[in-house]
Amino acid sequence: MAEIQLSDVFVEMADTLVDDFDVLEFLHVLTERCVQLLGVSAAGLLLTDQQGTLQVVAASSERTRLLELFQLQTDQGPCVDCFRTGRPVSVVDLSATGRWPRFTAAAAEVGFAAVHALPMRLRSEVIGALNLFDSQPGALDEGRLYIGQALADVATIGLLQQRAIHRRDILTEQLQTALNSRVLIEQAKGVLAERLQVDVGEAFALLRSGARSHNRRLSDLAQAIVDGSEPLPPQPPAGRPG
Amino acid sequence: MNSERRVRLWALVANVAQGGTVGVDHVCAVSVSATGVDAAAVAVTLRATPREVLYASDRTASDLEELTLTLGEGPCVDAITGGPGLVADLAAPQCRARWPAFAPAAVLAGVHAVFALPLQVGGIRLGVLDLYRARSGGLDGEQLADALALADTACAVLLDGGERDRSAPDEGRPEQVGLQHPEVHQATGMVTVQLGVTAAVALIRLRAFAYSHDRRLRDVAGDVVARRLRFDPTDDTQVGGAG
Repeated sequence: MAEIQLSDVFVEMADTLVDDFDVLEFLHVLTERCVQLLGVSAAGLLLTDQQGTLQVVAASSERTRLLELFQLQTDQGPCVDCFRTGRPVSVVDLSATGRWPRFTAAAAEVGFAAVHALPMRLRSEVIGALNLFDSQPGALDEGRLYIGQALADVATIGLLQQRAIHRRDILTEQLQTALNSRVLIEQAKGVLAERLQVDVGEAFALLRSGARSHNRRLSDLAQAIVDGSEPLPPQPPAGRPG
Repeated sequence: MNSERRVRLWALVANVAQGGTVGVDHVCAVSVSATGVDAAAVAVTLRATPREVLYASDRTASDLEELTLTLGEGPCVDAITGGPGLVADLAAPQCRARWPAFAPAAVLAGVHAVFALPLQVGGIRLGVLDLYRARSGGLDGEQLADALALADTACAVLLDGGERDRSAPDEGRPEQVGLQHPEVHQATGMVTVQLGVTAAVALIRLRAFAYSHDRRLRDVAGDVVARRLRFDPTDDTQVGGAG
């Protein structure tokens, strides 16, 4: 059962990796599939900004408090440790660790009991981490760890697009572009939230469905919305004034 | 770490400014010394003109900016709409193929490496910080990190204009413009609608509001996102005269 799903996911991912694909949408789908395949509560991808800090680029849910929790790890937390060491970090019971007081408190507040971080590696370089949260304490078993790492690797491949990146320069160019696209998405969420009087999480869902139904890249649609060159916002939810 | 880098670089920039208002010229000067390049320039994109050179640190930089403008191609053009362009060797065949006019002309002018860093905040494209070096070769990890942090500083300086009192080096340090606080960018989007302005102006107004109320940008932005604070287009006093 799980294996059928797994192969479906890898086929889906491979299908996406064609020329000119939508990186942000790809990473977003990948975090959703992590949740489904690994049976965790939430997943997020964090990338280095090349100045030693991790930034969130995609998450399985755009709930503000979840994003804040991922972002909190720019300073401390399992994700930072995973990024620094290039090795997986698993905390099976957050209430039993005193290592990251600020992060642990925030995670408990959102209702998470366990956290896992898997490195995104390009040869010797670590470019980010896949962060998984679970509401139940417990370890990821061997099999799920293996799948999780495979998904982290797929994310790395998708992100870097070109099959043969040998130079730090190109890596930096790609990472910076992805990070800036994420800022752009946040701005577009704000525009839609205000235009349609919805919260920013809902605004993301609208942005995403708008991009899908018009077969446009998330970042292209977001740019058009931020520039004001997009005359029609995506459909507001039924029952709300436009 | 990141914040240490920023503090260190800002101290250098403030030192070059000698207590005066920090401008992109000071950021360029520190870019040259920190990243081991020979020259630096900042070009901005304005509505009226596609590209305007705000500052060039020397003759080479202004010649190269002129070339970019005349030929309409090169890493410094690509960086305005795309990501960073880090070109270690302009004489390499793939560079000649990509920029057939610019690459040989730049080499002829004595420049072998160009590092063009976009000055952008999401959909806001302010311009580009261009670093030029006679010798070919890439930036090392530290130099690259410094260059990216300085591009961020140049963005902040452009957005804040001459608003701030720079007398105390750390007091005047502008808030960075990166992804750390998504609410800042969400609020920027919301304020574009509230005020009917561009995203650049919305961000300028948010930053000016935070500065004039002595609050952190992220806190002001959080209030906007939570709809505790609205920007009113008819109220000019609200935002300390920015924009």
